[in-house]
Amino acid sequence: MTRSIAVAYAVARKDLTSEWRTRELVPALGQFVVLALVIANFGFQIDSQNATVIAPGVLWLALVFAGLVAFGRAFAAEREQASLEAMLLTPASAAAIFAGKAIAAALLLIACEAVLLPALALMFGTPFNAELVAAVLIATVGMAALGCLFAAMVARVRSREVLLPLLTLPLWIPFIVAGGQAVQVAMGASGSYNQAVALLIDFDILFVVLTSLAARFVLDD
Amino acid sequence: MSAIVAHEITQRFGSDVALDAVDLALDEGEHLAVLGDNGAGKTTLLRILATAARPTSGQLAIFGLDAVRERKALRAQIGYVAHAPGLYPALSAAENLEFFCSLHDVDRKRVPEALALVGLSDVARRPAGRLSRGEQQRLAIGRAVLHSPRLLVLDEPDASLDSDGPDLLASVMRGRSVVLATHDHALANRLCQRTVMLRNGRSLGAGTRLRVVR
Amino acid sequence: MTRYTRLVAAAVLLMLVAGALIFFYAPEDFLQKEPQRIFYLHVSAAIAAFACFAVVLGASIAYLRTESLRADRLARAAALVGVVLTTVTLVMGMLYAKPIWGTFWTWDARLTSTLVLWIIYAGYLLLRRLAEPGRQAARFAAVVGIFGFVDVPIVYFSVTWWRTQHPGPVIISDALPPQMLFVFLVTMACTLFLAAVMVAIRYQIETLTDEVPSPVVQLVGAQREPEPAR
Repeated sequence: MTRSIAVAYAVARKDLTSEWRTRELVPALGQFVVLALVIANFGFQIDSQNATVIAPGVLWLALVFAGLVAFGRAFAAEREQASLEAMLLTPASAAAIFAGKAIAAALLLIACEAVLLPALALMFGTPFNAELVAAVLIATVGMAALGCLFAAMVARVRSREVLLPLLTLPLWIPFIVAGGQAVQVAMGASGSYNQAVALLIDFDILFVVLTSLAARFVLDD
Repeated sequence: MSAIVAHEITQRFGSDVALDAVDLALDEGEHLAVLGDNGAGKTTLLRILATAARPTSGQLAIFGLDAVRERKALRAQIGYVAHAPGLYPALSAAENLEFFCSLHDVDRKRVPEALALVGLSDVARRPAGRLSRGEQQRLAIGRAVLHSPRLLVLDEPDASLDSDGPDLLASVMRGRSVVLATHDHALANRLCQRTVMLRNGRSLGAGTRLRVVR
Repeated sequence: MTRYTRLVAAAVLLMLVAGALIFFYAPEDFLQKEPQRIFYLHVSAAIAAFACFAVVLGASIAYLRTESLRADRLARAAALVGVVLTTVTLVMGMLYAKPIWGTFWTWDARLTSTLVLWIIYAGYLLLRRLAEPGRQAARFAAVVGIFGFVDVPIVYFSVTWWRTQHPGPVIISDALPPQMLFVFLVTMACTLFLAAVMVAIRYQIETLTDEVPSPVVQLVGAQREPEPAR
């Protein structure tokens, strides 16, 4: 167990160091989410009346597509460098390597959320509070587990750019339903915030367990 | 004791047969060259020997252990240099090796030793992406011996090495069992005691020195 | 006639019998009138589709445990038939919903989860087509097959928790008059039989596809040289 944690830590650290030095992904994703807000503004004619109704949807759309890019990139880079195999040909367990990759990718997405959430509050004039941040962070955990599993899979398949959203988005729907509810409540709509977040935590646990069981079949031959 | 005993190794991809019932034996400490044209099945065979791929059928024992069931244990004893170096371009040469130290659970003190062995001590702090192709190949070789493996599996390691490449390979291979795939018959004769010829996924027999089989 | 032709003939005949029962035997519904006749095939197709995906789940788990090529072929066959039946379910459901609810589509739990089911297994088929054939493709597909099946009840649950308007299960709750129940059960049995026949045929096709060697390999095999002496 301590071995697995050490491996996951090393892998996550390696990915984050690479990202810190090249700054390939996070700045681009940050720009992307701000652009998404700008487009939403023109698409929806945002004003102070409708902002809190539209903002949650815009948030999840921007987040989902930023997530697809972040998770897809996490494994596409390994594939381009042919380095995934080198990692797997060590005694380290596939689940630990997968966990490290997923943690790093989730942290990169969180960095992008750190741009998205304040920008949303600023540009749409919606409330920015701890509930909002907590709901998005909790949803990120399970989404990262699922997203990275399928990103690892499609990295070895032709036309992966098309296939990743096709496989991942349907499986993310539960997170978007519960997360959408939680964010709506956090922005002032009626409903139960606690129930939505409890649901998100249940989904997190379920999919983290399932993906760590499946990681071996996806990564190793 | 035998390092490798492979019996009727067959690899299919869909309906294509990449390897067709290949037999192979390697004694401990022996150096074997696998020769053959592109597409003959060299890489497929080496990937199987390195436990990166499992054969569709056939038995493979490495150091007496089953290569499929006990591959976790075996991976600690095998070093593999693939076609592509598989390095992280943003990390320095030393950091690349340090990362693999933590995956192999070996002491980081091995890093300077490995770098010295492949002659990269001077560029240890340079990002791997800024190393020349030959230096990257050396780094990949250094990574393969990081955990002091008993078996080395080398897939065309000479591809981008410069003139002192054979000497470097000889020093890395010393004292280990080695399977080396190459196009270069002279290199095979110089570094290996025995050669195997592959053609279209079939083994054309083994000889102590290369013989022309056309 | 081969075994398969006979099976197909039987399945088509049974579906015609079911069709005759639906249109000439089943009574007209008091409230929903004629459109209610869609119900029989709509629900039967949905149940058969679920059965197919349950087979995909079982075969996928079996494949990950044993790597049996047969389990993989069965999963491939059942997934394809399941997607076809889900398409039928969705199209019939939309035709049924228009006169009854006044709209082709609403975002309720059952509709949403069926649509998600369709998307997941369509993705499954696409993955099979795009991945290099072999063990890896089979393993990836098995993982998708399992996650897809796990996800659907969760989607269903999360949308229900949110909101729903689709009628609940009417069959168990004794709400159907006996004649309607009879027609429904016959239709369901016929549809399940049809689905089983389609899976069997598809399984046979997958077996043949697996066994055909590519022309290149045949050529090489024919010209194989004798082993040289040592």
